[in-house]
Amino acid sequence: MNSPLRVVHYVNQFFGGIGGEDAANVGVSLAEAPTGAGRALQQALGDAGSVAGMLVCGDNYFNEQESEAVAAIRKHLEALKPDILVAGPAFGSGRYGLACAEVCKTAQSMGIKAVTAMHPDNPGALSGWPDVLMVPTGETSADMPQAMAAMVRLAGKLGRGEALAPAEIDGYMPRGVRRVHDRQRPGYQRALDMLVAKLKDQPFRTEVPIHAPEKVNPAAPIADLPGATIAMVTTGGLVRKGNPDKQVAANASRYYRHSVAELQSLSGTDWEAYHAGYFNHIVNANPNYILPLNFLRDLEADGQIGGVFSSIYALPGVATPVAMSCDLGRSIAQDLVNSGVDGCLLVAT
Amino acid sequence: MISAIYDLALTTGAVRVIRGSRIEHVCGDPNLGPEKDYAYGMRIVRTALDAICTPVPGPTLFDPLEMTQEQEVAHAS
Repeated sequence: MNSPLRVVHYVNQFFGGIGGEDAANVGVSLAEAPTGAGRALQQALGDAGSVAGMLVCGDNYFNEQESEAVAAIRKHLEALKPDILVAGPAFGSGRYGLACAEVCKTAQSMGIKAVTAMHPDNPGALSGWPDVLMVPTGETSADMPQAMAAMVRLAGKLGRGEALAPAEIDGYMPRGVRRVHDRQRPGYQRALDMLVAKLKDQPFRTEVPIHAPEKVNPAAPIADLPGATIAMVTTGGLVRKGNPDKQVAANASRYYRHSVAELQSLSGTDWEAYHAGYFNHIVNANPNYILPLNFLRDLEADGQIGGVFSSIYALPGVATPVAMSCDLGRSIAQDLVNSGVDGCLLVAT
Repeated sequence: MISAIYDLALTTGAVRVIRGSRIEHVCGDPNLGPEKDYAYGMRIVRTALDAICTPVPGPTLFDPLEMTQEQEVAHAS
């Protein structure tokens, strides 16, 4: 029989029982007796381990004062000397997920094994990949029992020094690790099996999964175009001439909002393209090719649309991870909705 | 979305996709000369405005070059 594992649990202010958003700025503290989520972890561990301490930190504090938070956590881990650190689960909470991924990395850098759990779309899943062992969960804490059970199973394996089975068997998010492995049957036979199963409408599992794009529900059509305010967004890398905002040419992590309230069209003397994914010289001569302000102004003057929205949105749409693109897109869309815009033209190069 | 790589837009789930001219000059074509360039760009923008006034079930291509402006429902899978 193995000796019970010594586990330290990292949670945010909410799951640590301190409070909600009002307590999101609290710093790192140690609770020696597990409360809240820690109790759920102890329950899942059973005799296999004990929660030696629960580290609690506010989500805002962690994300805004990350180096201080990490230093405090490091100190506690040095004192507590756990076999394993369990963080979360963070479910769909972005700040919590980012904190969990970072705490796991901190523990790992000290030679302590670590595991966390969160929704695969949580930004923490992106920042934790590929070094952090992460269990996929649902969006909400309704998934707590399954998530805890899965983390405890993995914690046990890590604690006992056992090798992990592939992601799909041991129930963690794939880390892109490829190992030589004998599947017993050659590829053409496995491929034919899949094809036959597909033809018979039977279930099969691909060996090369492709991440399917998000399905977007179509927006309702505009009923009154002559009364509608139309906005413009471009991923063509439009910047003010000379790029005074210092936008990047690829892998953007922010977009810029510029006023065009006073402009009839975009001129190459005031605007240019800064985009690493296409030859920019034609757009530099006439930026309306990637942001058709001149056309919309003519249609506005003609009464065919109600008006042109006073701001435009610009970024270079190249080499940006999908999760970041989704965040930027949601943020732009939210801004348009808040501004009462009726419709939007997005020009993508 | 107005894009010259409209197939990619459709397969990645963009809902109303308008066929743009070329990657380097999406809304128009400088090779046509100023007048025709403007007319082509205007046609692309008008098609885009038609698109946002049209109900669609899912990813749909609107092609400014088609006289009838008939919609092609993309079989994106």
